[in-house]
Amino acid sequence: MKIVAVTACPTGIAHTYMAAEALEIAAKKLGHTIKVETQGSIGIENKITSKEAAEADLVIFAADVAVKEDIRFAKKPLYKVEAQKAIKNARLVVEEALKFYETNA
Amino acid sequence: MLINENLILLDLNAETKQDAIEALASLGYRDGRIDSLETYVENVLQREQTYTTGVGNGVAIPHAKSNSVKEAMIVFGKPTKAIEWGSLDDKPVDMVFLLGVPEDGAENLHLKIISQLSRKLMSEEFICTIRNATCKSEVMKALGDI
Repeated sequence: MKIVAVTACPTGIAHTYMAAEALEIAAKKLGHTIKVETQGSIGIENKITSKEAAEADLVIFAADVAVKEDIRFAKKPLYKVEAQKAIKNARLVVEEALKFYETNA
Repeated sequence: MLINENLILLDLNAETKQDAIEALASLGYRDGRIDSLETYVENVLQREQTYTTGVGNGVAIPHAKSNSVKEAMIVFGKPTKAIEWGSLDDKPVDMVFLLGVPEDGAENLHLKIISQLSRKLMSEEFICTIRNATCKSEVMKALGDI
């Protein structure tokens, strides 16, 4: 499964990056490929291109603020959670997102 | 440098989250990183209310982007007794990383290092190294590898 994700939090200093790291680790452990874009205090990093968005099976937003340029993901199954949920239990977030994909794709 | 030995406290005596934040912020103040202790602490506590910075595994990362911060900093404190922090996993905290970033003109390099520290905190190995550190130079070394 090809997953793309975006993480963001209000100050963009810490949670954004912790959530990104947690999702990367969890998705890889579960045998999926993932690219995580961070929208934090440094700006957008590891940006997901329109092509990558188009090729993805599933999109996860782990964000507490509005995700910028979300138009890229308009046609994709999108699973949204709070950033802190990804920090607390990223594996569960990925598993729930996969379930969401199965019922909505 | 974001951190130096003046910004490390291996015997943090604090009963509450607020005590801990105040004590560590004072180190930043004494090191010239912040010019108003009161404003900075208030900003950190406000951030804390948005949602907890107790990210689990005994780690807390209270932080603020604040006008009172003159130079970005990481202050590390190891409480002598674990502190109730309202963490994501409900466990008390035995490692506190207090982060401060200036409101304007925060250098990208500093923000980058702080973002890398945040990522590192998801690694159990990294947490273990710091948790087991018995002297400031060990903490410096672990953080220096970021």
